[in-house]
Amino acid sequence: MGLLKLTLHHIRRSPFQSAIAFLTVFTCFFILNFFLLVNRGLSGVLNHFESKPEITIFLKDGLDEAKVESIQKELASYPEVKEIRYISKEKALSLYKEMNKDNPLLTEMVTASILPASFEVSAFNPKVLEDIAQNFSSKKDIVDEIIYQKDIIQSLLSWTKIIRQSGLVLISVSVLIVFVMIFTLIGMKINNRKDEIKISRLLGASKFYVKRPFLLEGVIYGFFGSLLGFLLSFLIIYNLRSLINAFFQPIIFVSELSLFEPLLLAIEILLGILIGLSASWLGARRYIKW
Amino acid sequence: MEIVFDKVTKNYGPINVFEDLELKIEPGEFIFVTGPSGSGKSTLIKLILNQIKPSSGDVLINGVAINHLKSKSEIDKIRRKIGVVFQDYQLINDLTIEENIALNLDIINYPQNKILSRIDEVVKMVKLQHRHFLFPSQLSGGELQRACLARALSIEPEVILADEPTGNLDSANAWNLLKIFKDINKNLKTTIIMTTHNPDFIESLDKKIINLGKSEHGIT
Repeated sequence: MGLLKLTLHHIRRSPFQSAIAFLTVFTCFFILNFFLLVNRGLSGVLNHFESKPEITIFLKDGLDEAKVESIQKELASYPEVKEIRYISKEKALSLYKEMNKDNPLLTEMVTASILPASFEVSAFNPKVLEDIAQNFSSKKDIVDEIIYQKDIIQSLLSWTKIIRQSGLVLISVSVLIVFVMIFTLIGMKINNRKDEIKISRLLGASKFYVKRPFLLEGVIYGFFGSLLGFLLSFLIIYNLRSLINAFFQPIIFVSELSLFEPLLLAIEILLGILIGLSASWLGARRYIKW
Repeated sequence: MEIVFDKVTKNYGPINVFEDLELKIEPGEFIFVTGPSGSGKSTLIKLILNQIKPSSGDVLINGVAINHLKSKSEIDKIRRKIGVVFQDYQLINDLTIEENIALNLDIINYPQNKILSRIDEVVKMVKLQHRHFLFPSQLSGGELQRACLARALSIEPEVILADEPTGNLDSANAWNLLKIFKDINKNLKTTIIMTTHNPDFIESLDKKIINLGKSEHGIT
């Protein structure tokens, strides 16, 4: 009687215990994968904001070209500055018109002369932007206004951090529950089959031989639980993709399929197998005493 | 396989089962182990299987004192050369007879492609063909005992230990089983060690008898 056949026989003989073990792994990986995909979306949101100009310095009217160039040079001298964009009055007008193209009344009366020129500055390190804001706010002769999105970013960062940390706690607790559940269920199954184990040992079966079906059982729960947990959460999120992305527009919360998904699937299956195997191995080690 | 009991004493707490038991079982012998209840018949079987250890003395198999073996794998190896027939059958209830036999063959690492043909052979030997696909609960006592013997035979053992195999059988089935044991011993030269209470069986065959008593034991 082959190992796989014997293992499937064990699974069929206690269908409720097997179903509980499978459902526990499935739920854990459903949550895990759901969280990972949401986390990926959140990273997209952060990247979006981080890649946008985080500080805008509006200039006073009447500055000559040499003054504007000297301001640009000063901004470029800061370390870790990612991008400096000069928005001239004309450019500001075209942007304004583009933004309000559906409302001609708003654009009719506006000319380039009433819009201020500005610098949009982004940085790799938000601390630099803080320094820039502090320095330029004192230059009242050239600076009209400074808009710094620090508060938005800070709030977004702290929310993302909370969501990530809660996710990690949730995943850790789920993995622990899966581990304890498989360990306990394997123990119960061993107890149910102790006569069979004793007989096999008497017939010359090694300890590893009698453990093998229980180890494979743990691997099967890990494999199928993680596979189906991944598939279900993946299907839900990707079926709602257009809806979710429309909500977060212009940010792409759920991105196109890429190498990331199969890689994630492979890692999750490997993790499922590892959890199933280690829990059943410990269970078999603890409970097989004959 | 040569089995030697060298001054074996076995106590269960204050109860002395036997003391300084000396016996030698040569390969191919048929031996009856008899004696009243509690005289140590099953204990003798358990000692050979290394299920229990002697209180003193040694049980030697092919010259090796198995009670001193530290390696579990060595004990497993010895067990794989011994077929066991239990009074209470000890078949796995949720496996068919065929699967029970296949499990034993798998344990000894029998070639997978030969397992089915080997099962056919042994079920014919014990006259259980056309019944081996049934579960233990679907067989009679006599059939169960023959199924148990088929499992023991399947691994081509050097020794068959039969612990009161006829204890639960009616007279016709018991004689039938005894005849099968006799044929196996004669044709396959397998050593048979059978414990029994039944004096008629012992008298019917001219075989070596180990008589275990409370305070005396003898070999005739």
